[in-house]
Amino acid sequence: MAVNAVGRDIPSSIPGYKDDVVLFRGATKRLPKGNRYGKKNRTTFFTKTDKTLPNIKAAIRESGLQSGMTISFHHHLRNGDYVVNMVLDACAEMGIKDLVIFPTALFGIHKHLTKHIQKGVIRQIQGSVNGPIGQLVSEGGMELPVVLRSHGGRPRAVISGDVKIDVAFIAAPTADKYGNLTGACGQSACGSLGYTHTDADYAECVVAITDNLVEYPAPYIQIPQTQVDYVVQVDKIGDPAGIVSGTTRVTRDPMRLLIARYAAKLIESSPYFKEGISFQTGAGGISLATAAYVRDAMRKRGIKGSFGLGGITSFFVDMLEEGLFKQIMDVQSFDLAAVESISRNAAHVEISADWYANPWNAGCMVNMLDTVVLGATEVDRNFNVNVNTESDGALLHGIGGHQDTASGAKLTIITTPLLRGRLPSVVDSVYTVTTPGEVVDAVVTEFGVAINPKRQDLLDAIKPSKDLPLVTIDELAEKAKKIAGEMAPIEYTDRIIGVIEYRDGSVIDVVRQIKKK
Amino acid sequence: MKTAQAGTLESMDCLVTASEAEKGKGIFITMEGSNIARFRDSILKTAKTTLQEMGIKDVILSIQYNGANDIVLKARVEAAAKALIGGDN
Repeated sequence: MAVNAVGRDIPSSIPGYKDDVVLFRGATKRLPKGNRYGKKNRTTFFTKTDKTLPNIKAAIRESGLQSGMTISFHHHLRNGDYVVNMVLDACAEMGIKDLVIFPTALFGIHKHLTKHIQKGVIRQIQGSVNGPIGQLVSEGGMELPVVLRSHGGRPRAVISGDVKIDVAFIAAPTADKYGNLTGACGQSACGSLGYTHTDADYAECVVAITDNLVEYPAPYIQIPQTQVDYVVQVDKIGDPAGIVSGTTRVTRDPMRLLIARYAAKLIESSPYFKEGISFQTGAGGISLATAAYVRDAMRKRGIKGSFGLGGITSFFVDMLEEGLFKQIMDVQSFDLAAVESISRNAAHVEISADWYANPWNAGCMVNMLDTVVLGATEVDRNFNVNVNTESDGALLHGIGGHQDTASGAKLTIITTPLLRGRLPSVVDSVYTVTTPGEVVDAVVTEFGVAINPKRQDLLDAIKPSKDLPLVTIDELAEKAKKIAGEMAPIEYTDRIIGVIEYRDGSVIDVVRQIKKK
Repeated sequence: MKTAQAGTLESMDCLVTASEAEKGKGIFITMEGSNIARFRDSILKTAKTTLQEMGIKDVILSIQYNGANDIVLKARVEAAAKALIGGDN
C-alpha cells in the first residue's frame, strides 16, 4: 500500500489489473514514454471489393476472435443499443469465453450481459458500468475488477498500448459494402461516432455492424474504409427511442435555476467572459440552464464565442446557428437536432475522443476550453469530486469527460444542490475520488459559490454580490452536515471491485465491494 | 384496524402510516426507501422521540422514506399519529 496525491491508499499490485500500479501523483505529473502501439500491416487488393459477411457469427469467425481476447464497443446508441448484446450472445453460442469487454460505456439495456458474466463469457469489464451491471459488480459479482477510464484516458490507453483491442465492433447507423461508416443518417442515426475512431485505428480487427447498408460510397463518411475489415448487416442495431432524445429541456426547478444563475454569474464575472470564449456543459438540468443564462449574457453584451465542445444538444446547435459560436466540436450527439445538424452544417465538426480529450497527443480540445460546467455526486473540502459511486458505495457511473475537461479548462465549475434528498453533496472527504481538487476551481450550490483558495487570481477578479454570494467550501460542508444530521458510514469489504484511473493512466482511487444488506 | 397517513412519496419527503396497536405492545417501526442504510438510526430516533413527546405508547408506524430531513420527518410522524388518535379515518 502507498498513499497517492489525493490521500488514497492504493495497493502496489491489484490482481486482474496491474502488478505494478502507477500511483496518481498530480494532474500533470505522468509523462508518456516510448512509441505508440501499432497493429499488424494488412493489404486489400482490387480483387476484393466487398467486405460484407452474412451474419455476426461469420464476422466473429473471420476476425479470429478467441476466448480470453479483448473486444471493444462504443456507446453512441446509448440506452437504445442492440449491438453489444447481439455480439456477446453470438460469442456465447459459439463457445467463446473469458472475454475482456472494453466499451466506452454501458447502459441499462446491457443488463442482458448479466448472464454472460455469470456464465464466464465475460471475464472483465474495462469501461463504465451503469445501472444493474454496476450493482452486480459492486456486490462482488465479478472475479476481476472493473477498470474505469475517462473519455480521454481511454484513447490514451489504446494508443500507448496499455489496452490492446483484438476486435472492435462498431455500431454503424449507415455503411457501404467496403466499410465506409457514418452515424449521420439511417434509421438508427446517432450523429457523431467520436468515441469510435481510436478503436477503428488501433484494433487488430474492425467489424462494422449496420442496419442501413447503402450503395458505395456511403455519404458523410466518418470512419473510412481504410480502417474497417468486415461489414455485417442486421435488421436493427438499436431502438431510435433510446438512441436520441426528442428535445432537451432546461430545468424549471427554482432551486436548480438559482444554482445555474450563480454559475452563469460566476462565468460572466470571470476574466474569461470575453470575445472568443469557449464553453462546455453537460446535458443535465443545471448545466443546460447555466448555458441558457450565459447565452443571454452573451447576447446582452454582444459577445461571440469561439467553440462549444463535448456532448452536443439542440441548445448548442441553436447557439451555433445564431452566431454565438463559430464552431461546435461534437464527440457525441445527444438529440435529434444535433444529429441533423452534424451533416448539414460544416461548422458542426465531429471529433474523436483522442482529439477531444487524450492527454498524450500533440494537443487535445479540452486544453483550449475557457470554461466547463460539470456535475458531481459529491465534492469535498479539498475540492475532490466523486462522480462514480453512489451514497451506498455502489459503482454506478462512468467518468465521462469529467477529469479531462476539468483538467483542461481555465475555469472548472462544479454545480450541485447542497443536498440531494437528505444526502449531502459537499462532504468532508469524498467516498471515491474521480477528479482531483487541484483542477477544480469553483463549487456552486444554492447556498453560495465556493472558489478554490488555490485560485487567488479568481478570488481577486470576482466581486461578490447578491447574484454571486461567495462562501468557503468548509462553510458549505458544515451547512450540509447540519441539515443532513447523523449518517451511518458506508459498509464495505477489503476486496477491490473497481479501479479508477486518472486520464494519464495512474490510479487515483479504487472502489471496494459493498456489504450486502 | 384503524390507520392514518401523512406525507407523500415525493423526493425529500416521506409517507408515514400509523396503525393502532394493542395496549402494552409498545412502539413498532418499519421503514423502507432510498438511503435507508445511511439514516436508519437517525430516523428511528426522531420517530420514537416524536411519539414519546406526544405521549403515545402503543403504535405501529410504517415509514416510506424518500430523503426527508429531520424537521419534515418529525412533522409527518406527528401528523399521522394525531390523525390516528383524533381523526375519523
